[in-house]
Amino acid sequence: MKINEYIESGVLEAYVLGSASEAETKELLYLKAKHPQILEALHVLETDIEFIAQKMAITPPPGMWPKIEANINELVKARESEGLTIDMPLRDRPQYSSKSRKSSQFVEIEAESGHMRIRKIWRWIFAAVFVLGKIFLAFAIYFYIENRHNEKEIEQLKTELKTRQVP
Amino acid sequence: MLKTDTQALVENKPESVRDLYDRYAGMLLGYIFEIVKDSKLAEEYMVHIFCELAAQFKDKNWEGPVNWCQLQRFAQRKMADLPGVSLHSGEPRIPGVTRNGSKDKYLELLTSTQQQIFIDIYYHGKTTAALSVELNKTEEFIRKTLKEAFVIIRKSGEN
Repeated sequence: MKINEYIESGVLEAYVLGSASEAETKELLYLKAKHPQILEALHVLETDIEFIAQKMAITPPPGMWPKIEANINELVKARESEGLTIDMPLRDRPQYSSKSRKSSQFVEIEAESGHMRIRKIWRWIFAAVFVLGKIFLAFAIYFYIENRHNEKEIEQLKTELKTRQVP
Repeated sequence: MLKTDTQALVENKPESVRDLYDRYAGMLLGYIFEIVKDSKLAEEYMVHIFCELAAQFKDKNWEGPVNWCQLQRFAQRKMADLPGVSLHSGEPRIPGVTRNGSKDKYLELLTSTQQQIFIDIYYHGKTTAALSVELNKTEEFIRKTLKEAFVIIRKSGEN
């Protein structure tokens, strides 16, 4: 391959602007290591691109770097806090006593539940007590009715005996 | 461990990011503006790109951008993920008409085809293969035209 023809083909320009294909890039990197002319041509092209960028440059507003710096610091703090919650044991985590700080950092949720937690075995005990209660109630009603019925019969027998004794 | 990582990010790496900022901030802002066409958005995206740079500086084996070409490609990759950026949809151009008046003076020297190819590749990140399909030309033609555009721009810089 003639190196001058390769340099003139426009592959180097495509590579510098990031539009070369993977195969072209591989070939160029291989040839770059072998031929210093290619390295030199690439350097010239990079200078050209930098020249274009300089012509198109817009001076950033004065507060730009402090803004970037603040964002970087926030990023660092966020990572630091992520690391603290994951890595630190529970007893070492900071305790926030200030109410304002608490309200700004956490979402308030209801801490106490209206439900009571008991062992599952109590479910069967409660069911057995309920069923037995119903049975006792049924017996009580039955014996009450039976008792009233018997009382009536006794009354009737007493009146019958009285009427027989009178003549 | 955590402290060391944080210190590395705060004390060492932002200094390098600052160095890149001092050298290329204006060029990067101009480049982003040409893509998004909104100065506020361009500033926001520049902050985002420098934050991404700072985050990656943490890596000891990092081989990030050290010159403009590398920084431009890094920015192009990062911007492809941002909302409101369509790197692959170059605006339609009228032949012979440049976009920004005085700032695009070097582009005025190019023919409309040279302009289109150069802008689509540099600002919109299109590949030579994609452009050859779009323009119904061979890849060799695209590369040759790009080469010609570079020669013209270089000559305009020498004058």
